[in-house]
Amino acid sequence: MHSLVIVPARDDLPFPPTVEEFFPPALVDGTYPWLTKFTLLVWIAVGLLIVFFLVAYRNPKMVPSRGQWMAESIYGFSRENIAKEMIGHEGVKFAPYFTTLFCFILLTNLFSIIPGIQISPSAHIAIPVMLAVISYVMFNYVGIRRHGFGKYMKLSLVPPAPWFIQPILIPIEFFSTFIVRPVTLSVRLFANMFAGHMILLVFSLGGFALLGANSWFIKPISLLSWALAIALTFLEALVIVLQAYVFVVLTSSYVSGALAEEH
Amino acid sequence: MAGDIFAGAINVAQFPQRRRDEDEAAASAGQGWSAISYLIGGILVWGFIGWLVDRWLGTGGIATAIGAVLGAAGGVYLIVRRLGA
Repeated sequence: MHSLVIVPARDDLPFPPTVEEFFPPALVDGTYPWLTKFTLLVWIAVGLLIVFFLVAYRNPKMVPSRGQWMAESIYGFSRENIAKEMIGHEGVKFAPYFTTLFCFILLTNLFSIIPGIQISPSAHIAIPVMLAVISYVMFNYVGIRRHGFGKYMKLSLVPPAPWFIQPILIPIEFFSTFIVRPVTLSVRLFANMFAGHMILLVFSLGGFALLGANSWFIKPISLLSWALAIALTFLEALVIVLQAYVFVVLTSSYVSGALAEEH
Repeated sequence: MAGDIFAGAINVAQFPQRRRDEDEAAASAGQGWSAISYLIGGILVWGFIGWLVDRWLGTGGIATAIGAVLGAAGGVYLIVRRLGA
């Protein structure tokens, strides 16, 4: 059994990966946490999106160029398939926000599988939380503006039920609408990106750990580990798009619920 | 409408109804999440209230159990009323 003990090739091999992976050091001494890989990536994502849409729409044509076609497809998707589909006709005015949200989450998520970057700012809880706060404030704001505070609270908290069940139901409604929604919105995105990065680290670094094993029976398994790392990168690509989509769809469903006359 | 700054550039015909199924799936996903949050929320909220009652009266867990069952019942009722039919 002794030969099965796995010893890393080098002592400094960071295996198994730890949570420290998600707290990158400051890029310039003394700027932590204001200038780290994550904040830099966020600004890069914002900059890329601004430039992309400005360039795509700078000189719109009836027969669009490839860039214009991509921008129109993304915007059209958010407008027709998310905003109008979930909220209805008045959903169109939320389409720019949904497009921005979708593009930002998609791009920042995508960083997690781009070679050389290989981590997403969304894998740090602060960024999904901030995005969820924006959506949370927005859906409550549009609801209150539509119905007035009292009626919005009544619509959100008081379900159609006999009066004597209400004391049981109202706390559940409050918890589900005003606490669970923002928490699940942020945790879902964060946990998916965190776990995705962790899994890729485990299989790619695990390959090196296996290669460094003393036994020649163990070393070849590192190839299996790396093959799995590649396969899981494709799975990660799926998760990236899906999570960006789910975040926007749920935001729009909350907005739609806030605007509705009854649930 | 004021927010629809790109409306002029959109070719709506590009997005026909072929994605209808997927859109309905997305809407159902939203309903699924709220069903889960009602059910778990009900158990957690009333379980917590029951736990507080337990601490207060020293009843050793019976109020937590009653609260959790009551919360589950409330959650199921809410799912039926809000999401059913």
